[in-house]
Amino acid sequence: MAAKVLLTREPRSIGRSLLLTLPIAIWAALMFTPAFGHANRAQRIASVITAIFMVILFFMMMRTWSTYRWRRWFFVALGLLFPVGFIHQVIAMRGTMGIPIEEMIAGRTPFCFLPIPLLILPAALFKTVVFPGSILAGGGMSGAGMAAMAGIWLAVAIVVGKGWCSYACFFGGIEEGMASLPAKAKVKKIDPRWRYGPWAVLLAMVLLSLALFEPAYCMWLCPFKAVSEYVAARNTVGMVQNGIFIALFAGLVVALPLVTKKRTQCAFFCPFGAFQSLFNKASVFDVKIDKARCTPCVLCQKSCPTLSLSEASIAKGETLMSCMKCGACVDACPKDAVVWHIRGTEVAAKPERARLLFLYAAWGMAIMFAGGIIAEGLATILHLFA
Amino acid sequence: MQKLKAKLGYAGAGMTVLLAVLAPFVLYGVFTKGFSSVGLHVDEMYSGGPKVRTIQAAGYTIDIHRQVSPHLLQNEKAFVQLDWRPASALPSQVNDDVDIDGDGKPDVHVSFAVPKDPKAPLRVNVDPLNPRYEAMRNVGKQKFSELIVRVDDAVLVRVPVAQ
Amino acid sequence: MAAAFAFGEAFVLGLASGPACVASCGPVVIPSLLAERSGVRPQARYLAVFLATRLCGYLAFAAVAWEMGTLLALPARERSWFFAVIHILLACALGWYAYSAGHACAPAAVGSELVTIGPAGRRRVPGAAVLGFLTGISLCPPFVAAGVRAAEMANLVAALLFFAIFFVATAVWFVPFAGLGWVRRNEAVTTVARMAMALIAVYYFYAGLMILIGKSAYGR
Repeated sequence: MAAKVLLTREPRSIGRSLLLTLPIAIWAALMFTPAFGHANRAQRIASVITAIFMVILFFMMMRTWSTYRWRRWFFVALGLLFPVGFIHQVIAMRGTMGIPIEEMIAGRTPFCFLPIPLLILPAALFKTVVFPGSILAGGGMSGAGMAAMAGIWLAVAIVVGKGWCSYACFFGGIEEGMASLPAKAKVKKIDPRWRYGPWAVLLAMVLLSLALFEPAYCMWLCPFKAVSEYVAARNTVGMVQNGIFIALFAGLVVALPLVTKKRTQCAFFCPFGAFQSLFNKASVFDVKIDKARCTPCVLCQKSCPTLSLSEASIAKGETLMSCMKCGACVDACPKDAVVWHIRGTEVAAKPERARLLFLYAAWGMAIMFAGGIIAEGLATILHLFA
Repeated sequence: MQKLKAKLGYAGAGMTVLLAVLAPFVLYGVFTKGFSSVGLHVDEMYSGGPKVRTIQAAGYTIDIHRQVSPHLLQNEKAFVQLDWRPASALPSQVNDDVDIDGDGKPDVHVSFAVPKDPKAPLRVNVDPLNPRYEAMRNVGKQKFSELIVRVDDAVLVRVPVAQ
Repeated sequence: MAAAFAFGEAFVLGLASGPACVASCGPVVIPSLLAERSGVRPQARYLAVFLATRLCGYLAFAAVAWEMGTLLALPARERSWFFAVIHILLACALGWYAYSAGHACAPAAVGSELVTIGPAGRRRVPGAAVLGFLTGISLCPPFVAAGVRAAEMANLVAALLFFAIFFVATAVWFVPFAGLGWVRRNEAVTTVARMAMALIAVYYFYAGLMILIGKSAYGR
């Protein structure tokens, strides 16, 4: 039973909002200060803009008591600016978005987090990483190396569970942006069994990757090669592979979010998202429904971008495992029945405290990981056009 | 009991926030060292396998790597990678007999031109002097198990091993 | 004495090849196990049928190869129309299995009947049997390694015995998969298994087509 009725809601006072934002402001200053050592003026300006941007968004989250719409600004900026910075870097280094075979042999293929679940079994059984990158920094586009990326991923996964998909994934913002463009969804009824798609893709890709000894998802299915890089086509099959990822990007990341207002790639396809759902089981933070207050109007279910609420789960007072902690359902609930929650505590006892603790962790990780990516993209634009 | 669970919950939440703060300063390095110390290596179909011998030539060296065999259902052949590494620059035409297995007898004859433009495509011919290795005629970089590529200032040739 | 040594070698070779066998059969076995009923008994029954028919496939292929004198030099997978046809048949069997699993009795129900495939009526066979036989004759790399050694046996019976012992040793690695019976079966698990089977079937179909036109999966 709820111990306290939450008001909906006068904005929080400016003073109190600033006080709550202060730790984030200090954190942002700490994270972006090293960038001031760069000689590049565009990077310094971009770092300042990004830091201010992230701090303002957090302030607005505190002031308005809501999370989703402010987080979405950050996430869409990340989705748009990552390709800008990355593609520019790739073209500056090798003149093309296509990865030539010599880069793969030299271990300079940049490592992204998406193949992580596919690499686990070959690594565990055969001590072999079936990705043409470098375990430590290897020069070129290899960045800090695969071990570094895996370390960042593990830290973020432990901290926010599947919140990775709302606070760290540098691709999800594209479809979140597409989904928010139309005023209304043209397609409202979606068969809920499509939610099992990511698990099927994960199972198939993990097994094929072990059998074929290659990152099967990256080779055949990843739609985000359209906005990053891809294996340079050496023959007709290579062209077919490129056609597949373009079609998947156009369909799952652009067209379907526009007609459904859902994050369709994340909800129905992404195997990494399915894998991250497992970390939700270990995460201390989750979203719960106060059954005493719930009517149920199912506005939360309609607002969820990944269909992570069903009638059965609402009746049980919880979200499904695929919840990515974006805050859409919490903000949509007119009765404040959907609340942020810390495991072990009473549902809706102190939801704002739970939200604060979650946001300090999640926003802190977002500034650390995604903030640098946003700054890089912004610096690229400033450098090209200023 | 409920109070204990709540206390544990808040403690967990606090530790999570702490983890988020420590990650970039301390834990990042710990995780990175941890992953890299587990003894993993990149698949040799990509990396070419470890170097086992070096042959000295005039103005350059030839590194010979251990034979790499394909795994499971990989659609590649077994191969041996040879690296031509210049001391200053490779000659414009390379014609070398290479003793791959170190028995004193040459196993393959490798010939390729080295264009001045580093972006120009390379082609290689390999004539096997030992039936253990396969011939290559005017091969570029179609397959991981038989190719010629330039990586930095070195030229890498992968000679397929006969089935 | 020499025979005992050779058969001991077959067993050790099989044990060493087990992970490779599991990895190459994994895309077929694991999703289809998940689509079967829950419970260790149905899973064990599936594995028994799968492995038995896989052994039949192994021995049939080995016998034919021995008679043709090609056991020592088995054709490379990627160059043989035979394996292209096997890949395509495997894809069709997987696809049919995925479809049939949706029409089988509720997988959470009690009982040990396996999912069957085939036309409606009496002529349906357990999917496990079809998949087992097709994987048995699809010439995985461990099979090739065993074939080279078996070709040195004195006669056909000895060669088949070598294969059988090799096979038993590789089968040991499949036993733990009966533990998938402890995974609770519900709509989510069976839908995921069926979708995964369909995806894997698409890949096998494509790989088979590519072999038919003389290319590998990457067109080389």
